[in-house]
Amino acid sequence: MLYREAGQFKTTYGADQAIFPIPQDRWVVYAVIALAFVAVPSVANEYWLQAILIPALVFTLAAIGLNLLTGYCGQLSLGTGGFMACGAYATYKLSTAFPEMNILIVFLLSGIPAAAVGCLFGIPSLRIKGFYLAVATLAAQFFLVWLFNRVEWFYNYNPSGTITAPPRTMGGFMVTGPEATAEARYLVALGFVALFALLAKNLMRGRVGRAWMAIRDMDIAAEIIGIRPLTTKLAAFAVSSYVCGVAGALYFAIYLGSVETAAFDISVSFLVLFMVIIGGLGSILGSILGAFFITVVPILLTNVPEALGLPIGVALAKQLENIVFGAMIVFFLIVEPHGLARLWQIAKEKLRRWPFPY
Amino acid sequence: MSEAYADAAVSAGAPQAPARVFTETLLSVDDISLSFGGVKAISNVSFDIKQGEIRAIIGPNGAGKTSMLNVINGFYHPQQGRITYRGKVRKKMRPNEAAKTGIARTFQNVALFKGMSTLDNIMTGRLLKMKRNFFWQALYWGPAKAEELQHREYVEHIIDFLEIQSIRRTPVGRLPYGLQKRVELARALAMEPHLLLLDEPMAGMNVEEKEDMSRFILDVNDEFGTTIALIEHDIGVVMDLSDRVVVLDYGRKLADGTPDEVSRDQKVIDAYLGVPHE
Ligand SMILES: Nc1ncnc2c1ncn2[C@@H]1O[C@H](COP(=O)(O)OP(=O)(O)OP(=O)(O)O)[C@@H](O)[C@H]1O
Ligand SMILES: [Mg+2]
Repeated sequence: MLYREAGQFKTTYGADQAIFPIPQDRWVVYAVIALAFVAVPSVANEYWLQAILIPALVFTLAAIGLNLLTGYCGQLSLGTGGFMACGAYATYKLSTAFPEMNILIVFLLSGIPAAAVGCLFGIPSLRIKGFYLAVATLAAQFFLVWLFNRVEWFYNYNPSGTITAPPRTMGGFMVTGPEATAEARYLVALGFVALFALLAKNLMRGRVGRAWMAIRDMDIAAEIIGIRPLTTKLAAFAVSSYVCGVAGALYFAIYLGSVETAAFDISVSFLVLFMVIIGGLGSILGSILGAFFITVVPILLTNVPEALGLPIGVALAKQLENIVFGAMIVFFLIVEPHGLARLWQIAKEKLRRWPFPY
Repeated sequence: MSEAYADAAVSAGAPQAPARVFTETLLSVDDISLSFGGVKAISNVSFDIKQGEIRAIIGPNGAGKTSMLNVINGFYHPQQGRITYRGKVRKKMRPNEAAKTGIARTFQNVALFKGMSTLDNIMTGRLLKMKRNFFWQALYWGPAKAEELQHREYVEHIIDFLEIQSIRRTPVGRLPYGLQKRVELARALAMEPHLLLLDEPMAGMNVEEKEDMSRFILDVNDEFGTTIALIEHDIGVVMDLSDRVVVLDYGRKLADGTPDEVSRDQKVIDAYLGVPHE
């Protein structure tokens, strides 16, 4: 069947406001979700899950978090790594202090300290914008990593300075700790991404999202329609940091299992920012595409030449990766600020007209 | 074309239609002075705006018209003077607080949200009226969804009214200038304001677009009963639309009265012809 909207008339505003107003899109999305939850865990091997899918999902969550702040509300942040660390250390403290607390609750609560810290470091955004704000959030990044490194209480005075996720179950299945299978951890990460993607999308297509985008696009005009810049920006920092905090909790407990503060350094902040830029600023779909793209490309660069009989070595692959990312970021920043998500949309528009040139 | 506009169009130059009478004062500014460093933008200006009227503010470039609107909606805080709005002396307030009291405006240079569609831009005008909290919003379900749809319906009403159905989904950045101005008016109307401030709504438009815009302004005033304060350079338009005109020049009030009175005022004629100040 051709991909067409013709003949599909929306008879209610409700139908018109749906996330995927075109039925074909809706079915594709349902199919992808079903595949992800059912087919993937039974087909994918340990390597695929642990090396690609779990990190891609965890970073998707972080990218959604940052995109809420930077893509939708227009506030540039380089503190993502620090906010993720807040979530990770909160998970560690909560799960060791309250061993009987359900790990799901622990993850959800872990976002709260991150939200509070995000709010605090968001205060300068009331006065400063763009580059200067980025520098202020950079301060948050360095301060938080320093703090978690320095104050031994955060890692329970463990002489090695690492935090390790204690074994916990969810619905009878082990999801953290050495016993947890990759399938179980994958499903937890997937569940969080699905849930947060939906909540974020809902938030952004309603009143809250419009207020944030108004602040992003023109703060003077936002004020005359009654938006308070102060509370709006702080809310964006809080919500964004909450999501990043939960992503940090998963990054620690579900993906890596055991981390030091180095796992949350500035390179993580940049990595998530690149995902958002390449995927598409102001797009939830873009956050997903960007995170998967940036996780998968390095693996392709190491494996594809080898499969073709051209072993290029790890060092060269790493160089190639930097070149590819650098070039893509420049390309997207200059040519297509809406990223992969926009390219996808253009492809769909072409498909809608196909086979006619216009 | 609406009758109101037809009347107004005919009345240009022809004998004046019977003047509409307004009694209740909606807003009055008293003895307002505003300066930026050494530049006096407004000096001791007083005038009032009556409930239901279309009030024009005219004057040469740099006369202080935009500054006056900025004072009324809280962007600028005058060094001196008093604003009375709906019977109460108003305290110093920010634009978002002024919005809450029912003051909406459009800008001289279009100030739309460039990254959003026409529909979303207009929906932002409903923000203050949407009450469901964050958690309902995130669920987009039940009361939150009902609220969203109810406001969508109101916005659709405005979209029909301003005849912009076909550009609902277009990102506003891609619209021609004239339509952008219309979307900005739509956003202001979505706020259901008591007082609508329009800063040169027809600047840069061709004759046809100006006619459309004039008709919309008259219809808004007529159908919604909205009080309108309007800055406009095109004297023909001002004569057609407004009930009363205040003339500013170099930050001072030069004249105040019906379009007829003002256009016969020698000081006004001099100011427009550029007769040097003594
Ligand atoms: N923010 C500001 N800072 C400094 N000076 C300002 C500011 N805003 C306005 N002015 C000055 O105040 C005076 C009045 O400006 P205003 O914009 O109110 O004029 P206007 O009547 O709207 O003119 P125009 O018809 O060109 O729009 C000008 O001399 C202008 O330079
Ligand atoms: Mg002006």
